[in-house]
Amino acid sequence: MFEFRVRRPGERALLCGAGPSRRDFLQIGALSAVGLSLPQYVRAATEGKVRPGCEKRSCIMIFNLGGPSNMDLWDMKPDAPAEIRGPFKPIRTKSDAFEVSELLPRHAAVADKFSLVRTCHHDGAAVHDAGWQIMQTGRRFTGGIQTPHAGSVASYLLGRRTDLPSFVVLPQLMGRGGGNLPNGQAGGFLGKAHDPFALMADPSQPDFRVPDLLPPDQISVARLDRRRKMREIVEGAARQFEASEDARLLDDNFHAAYRLITSPQAREAFELSREPQAVRERYGMNRFGQCCLLARRLVEHGVRFVTINTFLTVFDEITWDIHGSKPFTSIEGMKTVVCPMYDQGYSALIEDLHERGLLDDTLVTGLAEFGRTPKVNPAGGRDHWPQCFTCSFAGGGVQGGRVVGASDTIGGFPAERPVKPGEIVATIFHALGLDHETHLPGPAGRPFALTDFGTEPIRELFA
Amino acid sequence: MSDRTHRALRPSVWGVIAVAVAVLPVRAADPSFELDVLPILSKAGCNGGGCHGAIAGKGGFRLSLFGYDPPSDYRSIARDARGRRVDLADPGTSLLLTKPTMALAHKGGKRLDVDGDDYRTLAAWIGAGCPGPRADERKLVGIELGPAESVAAPGQTVMLTVTAGFSDGSTRDVTRWARFTSADETVATVDPAGHVGFVGHGAGAVTAWYSSRIAVARVIAPFPHAVSPADYASAPRANLIDDLNLAQLQQLHLKPSPPCDEPTFLRRAFLDTIGRLPNPEEVRGYLADRSPGKKERLVDLLLARPEFIDYWAYKWSDVLLVTGSKLRPEAVNAYAGWIRDRVAENTPWDRFVREIVTARGSSIEHGATNFYAVHQDPETVAENVAQAFLSLSINCAKCHNHPLEKWTNDQYYAFANLFSRVRAKGWGGAVVAGDGKRTLFVETKGELLQPKTGKAQPPAPLDAPPLPMDEPADRRTALARWLTAPDNPSFTRAIVNRVWANFFGLGLVEPVDDLRSTNPASNEPLLAALAAFTIERGYDLKALMRLILLSETYARSSAPLPENIDDRRWFARAYPKRLMAEVLADAIADVTGVGDRYTEVVLDDGSTQPVQGYEEGTRALELRDSTVKSYFLRTFGRNTRAITCECERSSQPSLVQVLHLSNGSTLNDKLASKEGRVTQILATEPPAERLVEDAWLLALSRKPTDSERKPFEEMLAQALPEEKRAVVEDMYWSLLTSREFLFRH
Repeated sequence: MFEFRVRRPGERALLCGAGPSRRDFLQIGALSAVGLSLPQYVRAATEGKVRPGCEKRSCIMIFNLGGPSNMDLWDMKPDAPAEIRGPFKPIRTKSDAFEVSELLPRHAAVADKFSLVRTCHHDGAAVHDAGWQIMQTGRRFTGGIQTPHAGSVASYLLGRRTDLPSFVVLPQLMGRGGGNLPNGQAGGFLGKAHDPFALMADPSQPDFRVPDLLPPDQISVARLDRRRKMREIVEGAARQFEASEDARLLDDNFHAAYRLITSPQAREAFELSREPQAVRERYGMNRFGQCCLLARRLVEHGVRFVTINTFLTVFDEITWDIHGSKPFTSIEGMKTVVCPMYDQGYSALIEDLHERGLLDDTLVTGLAEFGRTPKVNPAGGRDHWPQCFTCSFAGGGVQGGRVVGASDTIGGFPAERPVKPGEIVATIFHALGLDHETHLPGPAGRPFALTDFGTEPIRELFA
Repeated sequence: MSDRTHRALRPSVWGVIAVAVAVLPVRAADPSFELDVLPILSKAGCNGGGCHGAIAGKGGFRLSLFGYDPPSDYRSIARDARGRRVDLADPGTSLLLTKPTMALAHKGGKRLDVDGDDYRTLAAWIGAGCPGPRADERKLVGIELGPAESVAAPGQTVMLTVTAGFSDGSTRDVTRWARFTSADETVATVDPAGHVGFVGHGAGAVTAWYSSRIAVARVIAPFPHAVSPADYASAPRANLIDDLNLAQLQQLHLKPSPPCDEPTFLRRAFLDTIGRLPNPEEVRGYLADRSPGKKERLVDLLLARPEFIDYWAYKWSDVLLVTGSKLRPEAVNAYAGWIRDRVAENTPWDRFVREIVTARGSSIEHGATNFYAVHQDPETVAENVAQAFLSLSINCAKCHNHPLEKWTNDQYYAFANLFSRVRAKGWGGAVVAGDGKRTLFVETKGELLQPKTGKAQPPAPLDAPPLPMDEPADRRTALARWLTAPDNPSFTRAIVNRVWANFFGLGLVEPVDDLRSTNPASNEPLLAALAAFTIERGYDLKALMRLILLSETYARSSAPLPENIDDRRWFARAYPKRLMAEVLADAIADVTGVGDRYTEVVLDDGSTQPVQGYEEGTRALELRDSTVKSYFLRTFGRNTRAITCECERSSQPSLVQVLHLSNGSTLNDKLASKEGRVTQILATEPPAERLVEDAWLLALSRKPTDSERKPFEEMLAQALPEEKRAVVEDMYWSLLTSREFLFRH
């Protein structure tokens, strides 16, 4: 396999796609015998070393499915004509560099901790699925090649820290967007091993539990134990698997699963009931708020990458997708339902991470598939607009209270410093301590850079 | 086998001439742009994709990727930027020299040494007035990398030489400007100067790249095992596979594992040939049979089983992309049905491929035409044809010359132009609407324009002479002939490798469908011999399968010997592989006695639609369409048929899979089912001994050993009556989650 990056003198050519050498793996395999297994996910030794000081970095990606309206929320144009500026007014914040909408007062109070990038844009189709794909992976899928989610890349390059999976999606994978495109929340060409672990449950429900993480009711702890012992007897004399990596991987996974299932630490990560009620209420007793809280717990317990889908589909749910006509949300729906929920959950997450000393090592990024039209439509809503929209970044080395980029007078196009999806993703990798010029093993052995050549992280966000 | 160690240059036309006329001087009077300047820039890394070879260049200076476009590079260097890059009067102040030597700040770092020969060559070229590419200049014809095969031990070094041959018969040692990569760095590494350092044991390859040409040399480091000629002379051998395999094992000093036991062989042959487990009667019957020739009879039986058709039709459907995410239901059924019929008739592979490539007519009556409905643009169709039938990936060449292979952008568009006249009337391609009825026909006019030139390339199969552009006949006919010709170097190798990989869990070339010239087989003579065999048998794939199934190489145990524990691709032993998702789903259904219901399909965006035609108890291998909804199949890595690539199917175990097996509904519900196997077995109130033995026969196709039987019989004996059911379920659970069940071994 080939290394495309120009080799500096004395640098060994790297084998794309082969991962650790067989000898390395045999050593790792030896660890599995005592249950300390980190299967071939550990790549940092041969690819993308982590920048010193970034070993503990994690990322929480909040994906605002639907496409929030920048000029009603984060990039207001109070001096524009009425049909552009909309019904809401900006308010001062703790940051000198920007104001936010009156709909987000709690954001204003923590504005010294997050920064806004106001000039995101992409050239994908203005349909939800296309934007989901582009913004979460940095690329539009072409030629059948599915670029992995940034979280899958992190899972591949950085591996797991604990018994918990390294990449988790809350509450579950995205649903219908109206197109027919893959949504990018998968390992893509990196393989199923790096698909996210999707919770498939609503943490705000009173009977919340993680599917498949715990055995069904009829399998008691005693039965669990008996099964494990029985399996060990069956596995006992299996000499034919001694030299098989895949067989060892399966075995490692059974050990890991067993530990996950029976590990109080792992179960604890998902046990929201351990949080004081006051904390749960601070985040908001709704699906989004409790997902934010769960994300904090997961990161605390060592999960590297958590993606929160603020919503699951734009159809028949009240979301950011404020077309104004049925079955979509109206601008009023955003004001009364979506913004209070989002304002509360997001600010709670930022404050909580900060108070616990986790914010410096946790990148919290707010993304969306696109923004919304500068001009309010006849139904009183706004439609899709990928040409200019806002994303937020906090923590993970990002300096709060800043603005990157400036949109034009009506928020239609970037006037200064346009930002492409590849740069967003490069920023995430940078915060995680990864070199964004690392290569992944792409399909058919073709080396795949994390981001396209020439793409840089948004350095203005960092120190 | 002749000793090919340290072999010098293979005799070749220009090599002989070179010896006769003596090697020409290293440099002509003035340095040549194409032959001197560009190779220096390539070697220094200037035109790599991360630097000036990027689409947008760097710092305003753009070169073609790895120098595939010399005229354009000449313009960039000598003419663009108002000629600032070169200073004819004072070459040393040229940007071309001051930047890479860091006399001026250069983000790319130091690339040239002021005191080096390459610097002097570039300076001389500038000083000579930047002579451009000359029409009368000798052209590069090819390169050779020698020695073609080296055998050494870890710690040793071998020096490789790259010799360029030119159109005037001259040759030149261009080693210093070649770029080297090792195909397997666990065997040998190679440094920029072409020194191969052997670091581990095995057989690998080193590739040299020079001026858009590639050459490969093999590097072999035998394992440090104590083996004797008797080990190989006495090893069982049944046919040519064993002869060629054992010859390589002997060269590598790897000892072959002994044959596996009969229950293992039976299970393995069933799974690999027809995708299902043998049932207990079949197991008992085979073990009890003592008459000679039982293995041959078993193989013939399996090749004639109806499940053979399901299994292989399914596998070819993966390659041909039978998917409801791109085709309407009726078309899916027609496509899948056509494939099935061909497998049932044992249509020779070359005819199978020709019929697909030249298909025309109704998408419902002629299912094969759907190959042209899944992708409708000539470029993608061309890529699919190359990938599916030649195992060649030409995709990269769509935008620029292929960096890993020898395909140029011109060749890509010439190849794609073979499909430019394929048209269809009827259903346009909207997956969620329409009847899928589409009539495929071929126009007599029309070309595909190459974006780079704005003109059409004369249609030509890869590496073959072009067809006349104004010929009105269906170009695909000529393509099909070329594609399936016995002397097509990739066609036969591609299908042989796919079939081999099915039975051995690993191809002779890996990845299975990646037959690049820079990705050689682990045993080239064996692959060549099997290709010859397949041609001789008229592409009857069953004949190839029979040869494989009856070989001793196939029958080896997967238990390692100390003398082959480090074998990873030379088949000294069998390689366990997790069962394919569909095979696993069906095996679980068989053992638990509870089948599956497939009622919906899932489109790419996650929405579902009902699907008809799958009754209760349909086996996964009977599914026609990859979009049929199944959490189990998705989790266990089924091929989604989005692109033609074996990489789409994953047999890697994952945590999500294990959690599902442990706690999820598939195993737990089926084991607890009132209508399932456990209920059925317990209804007859068998003794513990029978309970245990039946479980083993069902799930693992063998009888339990004493060390397995005793503890389970005890647990059953000690269980309270109300617990007995749970104990039996748990026993089955432990069998169904064991590696012995989940893997074919």
